[in-house]
Amino acid sequence: MSALETFFDNVWVDALWRLLAVLGLMVIVVLALTYVERKFIGRIQMRLGPMRTGPYGIMQPIADMVKILLKEDLRPASADRIAFELAPFLAFVPVFLTLLALPFTAKWDVRVLDLGLLYFIAVSGLTVLGYIFAGWASDSKYGLIGALRTAAQLISYEVPLVLAVLALSMLAGSLNLLDIVEKQGRVPFIVWQPLGFFLFMAAAVSDLSRRPFDVAAAESEVVGGPWIEFSGIRWSILYALTEYTNMFALCVLGSLIFLGGWDWPLGLKWGWWWQLALIFTKTSVLILVVMWVNATFPRVRVDQLMSLCWKLLLPLAFVQIFLNGLILVYGWPDWTFLLTSGLGLAAAGYIIYSVIPIGAPSRIVVRGNA
Amino acid sequence: MLGMVKSLAETLRTMARKPVTIQYPTVHREIPVRERGYPLLLWDSEVGEPFCVGCHACERACPTECISVIMKDNPLAAEGKSKRRKIVDQFLLDYGRCIRCRICVETCNFSAIAMNNTWDGQEMSRYDRGELVMDLEQLLAKSRAGGFTPWVAP
Repeated sequence: MSALETFFDNVWVDALWRLLAVLGLMVIVVLALTYVERKFIGRIQMRLGPMRTGPYGIMQPIADMVKILLKEDLRPASADRIAFELAPFLAFVPVFLTLLALPFTAKWDVRVLDLGLLYFIAVSGLTVLGYIFAGWASDSKYGLIGALRTAAQLISYEVPLVLAVLALSMLAGSLNLLDIVEKQGRVPFIVWQPLGFFLFMAAAVSDLSRRPFDVAAAESEVVGGPWIEFSGIRWSILYALTEYTNMFALCVLGSLIFLGGWDWPLGLKWGWWWQLALIFTKTSVLILVVMWVNATFPRVRVDQLMSLCWKLLLPLAFVQIFLNGLILVYGWPDWTFLLTSGLGLAAAGYIIYSVIPIGAPSRIVVRGNA
Repeated sequence: MLGMVKSLAETLRTMARKPVTIQYPTVHREIPVRERGYPLLLWDSEVGEPFCVGCHACERACPTECISVIMKDNPLAAEGKSKRRKIVDQFLLDYGRCIRCRICVETCNFSAIAMNNTWDGQEMSRYDRGELVMDLEQLLAKSRAGGFTPWVAP
């Protein structure tokens, strides 16, 4: 064993370089995603997006970063100083922790936990604490309203999210992300659990405070919500770093548990770069879908969000769990998963179509004077 | 749900379209021939003198009083090279006051003044307001260089 290997064998050195690698990944992801989002949304709105900084505006994230770092760090005089300065880190650390439990290929991971899925869901929910801290500490009514909305939103979407993931782990028979990916084999779980995937993506969009579920940050109502009083580097930690890394982590998770991760469709014999390419592609697709949905739909009201989560997503998640249990207990063939879950998805679609007027303004019925 | 799918498809279709952005300082939008840029004096290249005879018609008509004209006897007419007995001596036009109303062009009896319908008549930012007061040479330069075709009212 060479001196270098002995050096990296040290527990502390090992932990340190892994943490640094994840930190570097986070920075790269945030820089890339800010650029991609601005370009993508620009094209959707028939604009070009950033074009001036470098060829095709490729240096725009760097310019943004420099601008943010040089900006004055403002703190309102009446702010709760400790909570205000703690809030960005409180929002950022849980997102950082979720990345530690994600495997990226069969070999590339920081730590794979036996309860990795549970750990991910549990820790990612903590981010909201940072937002509540931020909203409370900034001593602004908009900040506080935004923070309370974040909290209300969290308890609304977190339950369907956990249940959808639970329904999936019934199929896999494990909460270990490596096991779940291996279990999918030739058929990714999205085929057996379309309803579960729909619930997961809806909850993910809500978790990321993206339209149509961005009630917490709604610019036209609470002017940015919890991060209204933040500027410069604190704002970038609280908003950009947290949000984009969270988006990346959730989309990696989605591609691992629903899209077959690195295993489908090539299998393991192709080497790690193919696995990495696969996971990159799947994650990118999910991220683009989230941005696409973000660019398409108008914001729902707070009460609409609540009723959607509690009256539609939650019962459907229970239905999914119940059906999975039924099929597993009686040992019915695999295609019944697709049948029942697909029917559930169709039912969800019909209920949204007939009850909630999102994206369908023509269906709003104007009643005469009462 | 159908509406949601439709709107998602709509945004995707929009993405496939060509962006409408024109990258302005490097790429200039084509401007119409009737564009009212700041007024210019026209150069009579056949004789080699301005069309303007300094008759003060535009000066009197100008609502913002941004034009000042001084007339003189035409030396070329004395030599028999020109039919214009009088010619403009000095012409000051303050682009800082001009409201581009086109009244000077309408009132001119000799079609000697025209609105600049090119980008040169648009980008007029200066660091000093004094630099916006144009003299005869500056007003004639574009027409004198050739290639400038003013829009003439039908």
